[in-house]
Amino acid sequence: MWDILLINPFTNALLWIYDAIGRNYGVAIILFTILIRLITWPLNGQQLKGAKVMQDLQSDKEWLDIQKKYAKDKEKLAQEQMRIYKERGINPFASCLPTLIQFPIIIGLYQSITRALATTPLGLLQLARGIYPWFLNTSVLIPLNSRFLWMDLGRPEGIPFPAGFTVSFLPFGFPTLAIIVAITTYLQTKLTMPPPATGNPNDQSAAMSSMMSIYMPLLLGYFALNFASGLAVYFVTSNVLGIVQYAMMGRVNWRNLLPGGKKPASPVKLVKKK
Amino acid sequence: MKHLKMIFLVLIGAILLSACATGATSTSWPGLSADSTNAYLADGNSVYAVRLSDGVKVWQYPDKAGTPKFFAAPVLTPDGQLLIASAGTDRAFLSLDPATGKEKWAAPYTGAQNIWIASPLVVGDMIYAANNDGTLYVLKLATGEFQWSLPISGSLWGAPVSNGKLVFVTSLDHFLYAIDPQSRKVAWKADLGGSIPGSPAVSADGSTLYIGGFTKKVTAINAADGAIRWTAETKDWVWDAPALDGDTVYAADISGYIYSLGAANGKNAWPELQPDGPITASPLVLSDGTVVFVTESGLAYAFDRASGKAWGVGTNIGGKIYTTPVVSGELILIAPLGADSLLVALNKGGNIAWKFTGK
Repeated sequence: MWDILLINPFTNALLWIYDAIGRNYGVAIILFTILIRLITWPLNGQQLKGAKVMQDLQSDKEWLDIQKKYAKDKEKLAQEQMRIYKERGINPFASCLPTLIQFPIIIGLYQSITRALATTPLGLLQLARGIYPWFLNTSVLIPLNSRFLWMDLGRPEGIPFPAGFTVSFLPFGFPTLAIIVAITTYLQTKLTMPPPATGNPNDQSAAMSSMMSIYMPLLLGYFALNFASGLAVYFVTSNVLGIVQYAMMGRVNWRNLLPGGKKPASPVKLVKKK
Repeated sequence: MKHLKMIFLVLIGAILLSACATGATSTSWPGLSADSTNAYLADGNSVYAVRLSDGVKVWQYPDKAGTPKFFAAPVLTPDGQLLIASAGTDRAFLSLDPATGKEKWAAPYTGAQNIWIASPLVVGDMIYAANNDGTLYVLKLATGEFQWSLPISGSLWGAPVSNGKLVFVTSLDHFLYAIDPQSRKVAWKADLGGSIPGSPAVSADGSTLYIGGFTKKVTAINAADGAIRWTAETKDWVWDAPALDGDTVYAADISGYIYSLGAANGKNAWPELQPDGPITASPLVLSDGTVVFVTESGLAYAFDRASGKAWGVGTNIGGKIYTTPVVSGELILIAPLGADSLLVALNKGGNIAWKFTGK
């Protein structure tokens, strides 16, 4: 069912783009990632707005007061929080719901890119089965041209070391793309990290974001190092697009890149709903 | 504590992502071969030697789980070696002692740029090994030392074959290449119009090649110059090599149709036959003229030359079968994928003689 609803349509769209642009799979991945980003743009925007409202609430005086006042009465605290949400027309799930909807789309995108690479017979058989025969001529389309710039998108990227020089944990050579993935992931996490809320030193979301900026680049860099470089192209494109989208919404925090540049956000006055 | 939580979340993410990534990139069906005493099964992380008399494991290579992945059918050489090739990140091509599973060469050959899907071919004292990087590598049989290579094109998944003069290599780039080992050059190439993941079958006199591919055809080709002798339409792609039996060429397609074609003219002698499920494996011709087909549905069927079923119903092996079966003595060996057993031995009546589970 997952294949029929998501992976197969995505794979067909990806291969249609590949065919239409003159059979360059690297460019097809980039264009397809942009397309999916555009489709999910409203959801992203909604998520960002929801996250901003919740972030602002963290530094609201009334919110902080009830946290202190009912610190030992969780039930009462929950009631008061619900009252504030209701009075101000805040939906606490406004930032989660778009993420939940986007999650299967992102996984589908990721899987369709992997599937189309089909580096083994079983992979190719699965790919062939998922292509709509009325939409694409598989016999002519296969094999995909997996060369892009200096890379073979079907295998992990690496610029070969000089003859006679080997590094045991880098079997494919110097991992340029994995480094680019790690850097762009770091930049995206840092730039889109909200400033810590004023008056709330225990702002958990800020602490979480800070840790994400360490672990996510390592995780995605590791994947780029070990999996097909087509995925790494997707990671880089996705990271760059993420930064662009945040910038267009005026949410990029350039100060986060400077040492000691984290400044608390100015308190935002939340207007009570009449 | 916060760091621990984050590490936990990252690990969950890693597991999810790697589960997504491995589906299409690093798994495939097993490769199988046999001599008169053992079956040799290349199945994922290990190559197994399994005793034919009782289905007991003789050895397993490597001893411990590691990075290699094996899909190419192991090849037994006339001088008593077992050649295996890895589809893992190590890209190792190596020789084992078939009796013990110990490495025979001083070091594996690791000069290829991509993984090994195709089994190698041995002609004289040379190994011809086609790699996924689109290059044919030639190694010395005795030591595994690199001799020369010829960049071809596309991904090379089919085992090279020879008629004694030329070496024939198929490619996913739609071409069949004939390589002259003397000049180390391409003698001729033929565009078949679609990818060719399997090998050609060579006629007994070496004059004709029979080949399938993604063009929904079986094609007979003059081995001397690449000229097409005839083509026979099929309902779908013919994945692996057709099987030859005297004046008949047997083939099967991935929609599950099976064909008995005249070697001289490509005329199908059988009525429309579609046993059960897609077929990627080559047919297996037994000495009594029976032809065995295995299907993705996990069933094995035997047909006699006059088109009647030899086995009344298909024998249920379980899992999915993509690998070409192998015959040794009185046993038909079948390697399913995703079944409880890694290897199943049938007798010639189609009954299960033993199952090997990997233990």
